[in-house]
Amino acid sequence: MALLEVRNVSKVYRTQSAPVAALRNVSLTVDCGEFVALVGKSGGGKSTLLNLCGAMDFPTAGEVLIDGQATSNLSDAALTRLRRERVGFIFQSFQLLHTLTAVENVELPLLLARTPNARTIARERLYRVEMEEYADRFPHQLSGGQQQRVAIARALVHDPKLLLADEPTGNLDTATGETVLALLTRAAHDFEVALIMATHSNENVALADRVLQLRDGRLEHTAVLR
Amino acid sequence: MNSGWLLFERLILRPLLREPVRTALTVFAVALGVGVVIAIDLAGQAAAGSFHSSLESLTGKDDLLISNTGGIDQNLLGRLVQLPYAFRFSPRIEKFAFLNGKGEALPFIGLDLISSDAQDEIRPGALSHAADLLTTGDPVWVGSRLGLHKGDHVRLLINDALHDFTVAGVLKPQNGEIGEENVIVADIGLAQKATGKTGKLDSIGVRVPPGQTLGFWTDYLRKQLPSSLSVEPQGARTEENRKMLAAFRWNLRILSYIALVVGAFLIYNTISISVVRRRNEIGIVRALGADRRLITFAFLAEALFFGVVGSAIGLVIGRAMAVGAVGLIGNTVQALYVSSQPAPIEFTALGVLTAVGLGLAVSLLAALAPAFEASRVAPVEAMARGREEYVAAVRSRVMVAWAIILLAVGAGLTNLPPVHRQPIFAYIAVLFLIAGTSAIIPSVVALFAGTASSLLERLIGVEALLAMRSLRGSIGRTSILTAALAIAVAMTASVGIMVGSFRETVSLWMNDQLRADLYLRPAGLSAIDQHPTMSLEIAEQIAKLPGVSAVDRFRAYPITYQGLPATLAGTDTTFETSASTKFLPGENRDQILRRLSAGDYAVVSEPFANKHNVHTGSVLTLPLARAERRFTVLGVYYDYAAESGYIVVDWNTLMRYLPDPEVSNLAVYVKPSEDITAVRRQIDGIIGGRAVLVFSNATLRAGAIATFDRTFRITYALEAVAVIVAVMGIAGALLAMVIDRRREFALLRFLGAAKPQIRRIILCEAGLLGLLANGIGLLLGTALSLILIFVINKQSFGWTIQFHWPVPLLLAALTGIYLATVLAGLYPGQTAVRMNPIEVIHEE
Repeated sequence: MALLEVRNVSKVYRTQSAPVAALRNVSLTVDCGEFVALVGKSGGGKSTLLNLCGAMDFPTAGEVLIDGQATSNLSDAALTRLRRERVGFIFQSFQLLHTLTAVENVELPLLLARTPNARTIARERLYRVEMEEYADRFPHQLSGGQQQRVAIARALVHDPKLLLADEPTGNLDTATGETVLALLTRAAHDFEVALIMATHSNENVALADRVLQLRDGRLEHTAVLR
Repeated sequence: MNSGWLLFERLILRPLLREPVRTALTVFAVALGVGVVIAIDLAGQAAAGSFHSSLESLTGKDDLLISNTGGIDQNLLGRLVQLPYAFRFSPRIEKFAFLNGKGEALPFIGLDLISSDAQDEIRPGALSHAADLLTTGDPVWVGSRLGLHKGDHVRLLINDALHDFTVAGVLKPQNGEIGEENVIVADIGLAQKATGKTGKLDSIGVRVPPGQTLGFWTDYLRKQLPSSLSVEPQGARTEENRKMLAAFRWNLRILSYIALVVGAFLIYNTISISVVRRRNEIGIVRALGADRRLITFAFLAEALFFGVVGSAIGLVIGRAMAVGAVGLIGNTVQALYVSSQPAPIEFTALGVLTAVGLGLAVSLLAALAPAFEASRVAPVEAMARGREEYVAAVRSRVMVAWAIILLAVGAGLTNLPPVHRQPIFAYIAVLFLIAGTSAIIPSVVALFAGTASSLLERLIGVEALLAMRSLRGSIGRTSILTAALAIAVAMTASVGIMVGSFRETVSLWMNDQLRADLYLRPAGLSAIDQHPTMSLEIAEQIAKLPGVSAVDRFRAYPITYQGLPATLAGTDTTFETSASTKFLPGENRDQILRRLSAGDYAVVSEPFANKHNVHTGSVLTLPLARAERRFTVLGVYYDYAAESGYIVVDWNTLMRYLPDPEVSNLAVYVKPSEDITAVRRQIDGIIGGRAVLVFSNATLRAGAIATFDRTFRITYALEAVAVIVAVMGIAGALLAMVIDRRREFALLRFLGAAKPQIRRIILCEAGLLGLLANGIGLLLGTALSLILIFVINKQSFGWTIQFHWPVPLLLAALTGIYLATVLAGLYPGQTAVRMNPIEVIHEE
């Protein structure tokens, strides 16, 4: 069974003027440990697809199955549980909480899920991203690259099966971006996590197993690189 | 269109209207603050400021009033009319009566209705014909408000007896003189008979001839009259009472400003939030050519918007609240000071201007610092940094140093004496303590967040950790909100402690003072300054009852001492009955009581001593029995019955100068071996048909405590408004916080936070704010209560109050405030939950 199944999914946003179709009849499957790159122009539907895959939103039509569970049938509480257990998010602008230290940011998903030994696990994940010595620093005391490493540690802290990254290197310079990307793919590999990454970067695409191109909400092209 | 207005509309007004709930909360907070000031001003003016001595009713045409403690011999009038000037004299009887023995005390005025002057006085047409006097049985003319008609039979309780009269006419109010609409007028002869003052007059109104000043005629008459008689301009009694009520009104007014002070903190917070949120916009506008002054004005205009709209709504709210307040203040005035009849509530231009001016001034002052801060935003920096988290620069050490200085100065100010009987320095000290505490709050918040964070996380969970970090992360905002709520809590606690201490002190005092088993007084709800009397034989017959061991007679007269109302009383000062009187420390009670009956000696109550700077050994000059008498003060005793104060002499001394043995009150001591109920039955038999009330010791105390509680209701109402303002401020600020931190809440949803967890974070923040504010407020409140009890009360009213913690009251108040604060987080919590995390993260 595929980890993620997206079946004939459409997403329409209601705006004041007219409905806007962000996704049109998209289908895909992702297996455990697979790295899928999502490419396409801004507004093409990449972020919408990521949100649907991460159980943050419901499709207007079609269905999304994570580990065989259709998200449309789940209550808000069940969706929250699903996210807590199976999904990790990484954002372009890192999205760390400024009031928390690095290690506190990392352990946050565990605390929200009331998981025991949160601090120990968080420190271990920081070690994995080579940030253990910065554990007690606040985000503003870290560089962009360091912040994104912390965000990666946070996304992996609860052993998710699916990692969703929206332009994770978009806010970093090339060298740092490369380092972070290497770290991310290595970590995904180590934890056997499926990684779906929305990106504009050719370097990132080159590392993916598969590339999906979205244009105007449609899945236009699929390329299998490995 | 004016470009200034366009900028204001686009940069300030539009964002405000985009958040209608938060804007409404701030506006309403200002409105309530202004409203309560207006309400207290209007109600205070109606209940106390417009005070008109009821007994001066129908003296409008007199220039002077001749009066005497204990009354004037009627024969004096015969001498006066022989004076070689064209004076016109109006003899008067002044007493209070109760319609059918119930309800409010009504002024019962006796006038010489045969004279044409008096007929003028009670309005032409009211007394259609002097013949009414002869044809109607015991005729009275009544004020229009009493709802009586010509020909009605009325029964009036005067002193301890009910008298029947016939309404001969209804007085038509002519010039809106206050108190006139509920007066009852009788011919002087009839009034003398009904009040038991045959051959006596209470006062004589004098209309002076033209050509000389009033001062000239006052001096002239004083020279012609015995020195015990007072000659004062008409309205002097009203003025004296107004003067006495001034301190009360002043203190009440100060209390009404609390809500406005709390409102100031909230305006400061609102404008600060605006500045932080619009940093980027400020940068853009500055880059486009706006100068610093324009930016300052824009934010001051925002404050002005809150001030103007809040004050306008405050006017309406204030007028509505005044209706409730006038009753509460009226109760207090009646219970503590003087019989009064509240005047209609009327807006005065000055009152409105003051309240609105205060609302605007407070709003603008509170906005000055953030507006100035906004003007200093450098365009490039602001645009580069984008919107910043709200982090006020907190210079902890400097603030702590400031706090210490402010608190020390505040403490020092409490040692300064009052200015014209007003505890001005003590109130300034209160402001310093509030400022000092506000300055130290950021450090306290930081300390609390630092130490309690992990404990609360263990107890409550990650929500507490996030709430705590958020509070610490925006320490400026947290501190302002904590300060606003802490001030409201402190004021509630301090007034609660003061009133609770006062209540306990009065209760203990009554335990000591009220040792008799039964108490008697004439029926009717008499105010503190009314002293209706009972027939002499009641006291005499009760004293002879075999079950009675002693009877304390008490007779009181309202007097004027140094231009202020007071009470002169005579009482039995046998050792047995007066042994419970407590004198100030260092005074020998037994010695005082032994000497009191030996000559012209007096003891005075503590408020009297404080008000008139009298102490043991002082000599009081009182005009009594045709001459000025000098009484040496033997001691000052604790008393909580009347703020105007008592001069008490021995019964026999009083009888020597004012030989009218009717009593105002009686205290009856039953022999220990006797059954009190049986004695009471015998007393009821003696009273017979007279309207005299008998109270057991317990009933009297319970009644006194009930009056006490009624008296202080107004203060609780004022505290409640301040708390409501603070809680609304918290709700508004939490709402702003939710909007500002929407990214964080959205992110938490991405990280697996359930909706109830988000809601809990906000409730936790509200709860933590409440906890901090309650803790700090209780500490500050305790300090303020010490100032209230030992400085402000002492300087304003002169009472010694023992400190006492009213634990149940404080617990109830603080729990209520805490719950209200937590509940204030509900709506912001709901707003946070309703946000779409995807939209928020995308927007970022």
